[in-house]
Amino acid sequence: MSILTIKNLHAEVEGKEILKGVDLVIKGGETHAIMGPNGTGKSTLASVVMGHPKYTVTKGEVLLDGKNVLEMAVDERARAGLFLGMQHPAEVPGVTNSDFIKTAMNARLEEGKSISLFKFIKEFDDAVDALKMNEDLPHRYLNEGFSGGEKKRNEILQMKMLKPKIAILDEIDSGLDVDALKVVGENVTAMKNDNLGLLLITHYQRLLEYIKADFIHVMMKGKIVKSGNMDLMERIDTEGYDWIKEELGIEDERVIVEEEEERVLLGVCATKEALDL
Amino acid sequence: MINFTKKPLLNNDLPKEISKFITDELTNYIVIKDGHVLIKNLSESYEDVEIKMAEYSKDRLVYKQYGNLFETEDEALKYNYEETNSGLLIHVPKGFAVKDPLHVFYVQENEDLVNNTFIILETSSELNYFEYLYNMNPCHINFVSNSILKQNSKLNYTGISKLTAKAVATVNRNSYIKRYANAEYNVAEINDATIDSNTTIKLLEEYAVGTTKTVAITSLEQEARFTQLVEHKAPDTEGYIDNYGVSNNNSILVFEGIGKINKNMKRSIARQSNKGIVLGINSRLDANPLLLIDEFDVIASHGAAIGKMDDEQLYYLMSRGLTLKNAERLIISGFLSPVLKKLSTDELKEDFVLTVENKTL
Repeated sequence: MSILTIKNLHAEVEGKEILKGVDLVIKGGETHAIMGPNGTGKSTLASVVMGHPKYTVTKGEVLLDGKNVLEMAVDERARAGLFLGMQHPAEVPGVTNSDFIKTAMNARLEEGKSISLFKFIKEFDDAVDALKMNEDLPHRYLNEGFSGGEKKRNEILQMKMLKPKIAILDEIDSGLDVDALKVVGENVTAMKNDNLGLLLITHYQRLLEYIKADFIHVMMKGKIVKSGNMDLMERIDTEGYDWIKEELGIEDERVIVEEEEERVLLGVCATKEALDL
Repeated sequence: MINFTKKPLLNNDLPKEISKFITDELTNYIVIKDGHVLIKNLSESYEDVEIKMAEYSKDRLVYKQYGNLFETEDEALKYNYEETNSGLLIHVPKGFAVKDPLHVFYVQENEDLVNNTFIILETSSELNYFEYLYNMNPCHINFVSNSILKQNSKLNYTGISKLTAKAVATVNRNSYIKRYANAEYNVAEINDATIDSNTTIKLLEEYAVGTTKTVAITSLEQEARFTQLVEHKAPDTEGYIDNYGVSNNNSILVFEGIGKINKNMKRSIARQSNKGIVLGINSRLDANPLLLIDEFDVIASHGAAIGKMDDEQLYYLMSRGLTLKNAERLIISGFLSPVLKKLSTDELKEDFVLTVENKTL
């Protein structure tokens, strides 16, 4: 059984602090859900734990079974058993899904060893089937031209194949219709076991109807401000977040304030300009 | 008209860089060294296809028939037609679709190589052609292939040029496409040579479709220039240009893509995309995606994205446990897929992938 321990985690992006002291312990067999309005740092927490290069950790620690995760490169974290189902997974043209997952699975084996092709194909086909995805998936390029829902399912497919110890699913429910949500929920629930610690990040309660969580946490201003069980979720479901803000005396819960993007001026084509035409 | 002069053959030996491809898995192949056919191994699917050395066909009707095709102002082309010392004529008869690919290996050993290959596809015929260019000794290489696609015919043209740093090369691949015919050029330029390579597609009649995909990797002190021109000379024609480049070390790689739609060629489609990765601090990669359009009623697009390797892609692949090196390798291999998926044997695939890995180290 694995334990992920996050202690007083502070992180910033471009000099702006977003995580302001997160504490959380996730044990194998447990399911945690972090909820909260937009811009409170939920996704940042997921990215920081996985090691996205954009973020700098300024204080605190993250331990996986006692080992310092923050000292590991992204790929080492993955091989140690961490998994992040991403909100916006990158598209990689020319690389097929099956090649990618095969390479990822082989990366977990000793050097020189590789998984049996037959076993891989069977496992892959079963996973595609269970997630009700198209049969041509193995030959399609990684996330290229995928709809939002397909991307999310593909993340779950990878999780199924890679069998992590601690999995963080970042807004895996956004962009999914009810049917797809059900499929994703059932598949994640089916994966639950004593060796898997799950952290769900969401701002919809809907997901938790399909994946039961043992612990509910609410994040505001870059830290976890309230924890509880499913009762907490039900109260949020009916009353929203305002009562928590009131209770804690928080006025603005956000740490990330979306700036309005500057308008792009449609002008001269760049090529024309470069060639002085 | 082209002038063919045969140069002497030094010996019948093949370098191991080429002989390794001759396996049981490989079918339908011709190996030409210095303009002499060393090996010709064709299955019965090529029984009705006329395949001849250029020397036998220099006075033939086909060359007279297409004489105007060989009139050109281009110096490299002119030189090629006057000084040809290697080449093939491949003539697929009417209604004849050959699915098995034809593999042609062009090898240089003695002096300069001036090659002229001529592919004629009669009405409703089909050909899958593969070529591999290789040089053993210091030389100039002037390689030309012309293809004529008559009505409703289809050409799949796959090329690998793997010329060594000892060569200086000019390559011209030209295609003339008639009504409803379709040519697809997938070319991998994995040379160490200084090279000027051109793919020119002329869409001569309505509903002609031409696609050129070029994968180019440059390394060390190499300078390479790749020009793709698709000219729409009839309405309702479609032209697609896709370029994928990786520039490493101190090399310079230039893509010059031109989609040209002439006046009155209404409802034509011209699309172009360039993708490039600059690996070295001193590497350079230029892409000039040009559209020259003299008609209003068309669909056209062009774009270029050049930069270092994408951080988000690397992060994503690494977050699944791939090392940085493997993640980079996978992203580059993604660039190669247009050509890689066309290669018919494991030896060819392995050679291609290993060459690219060496060039991108």
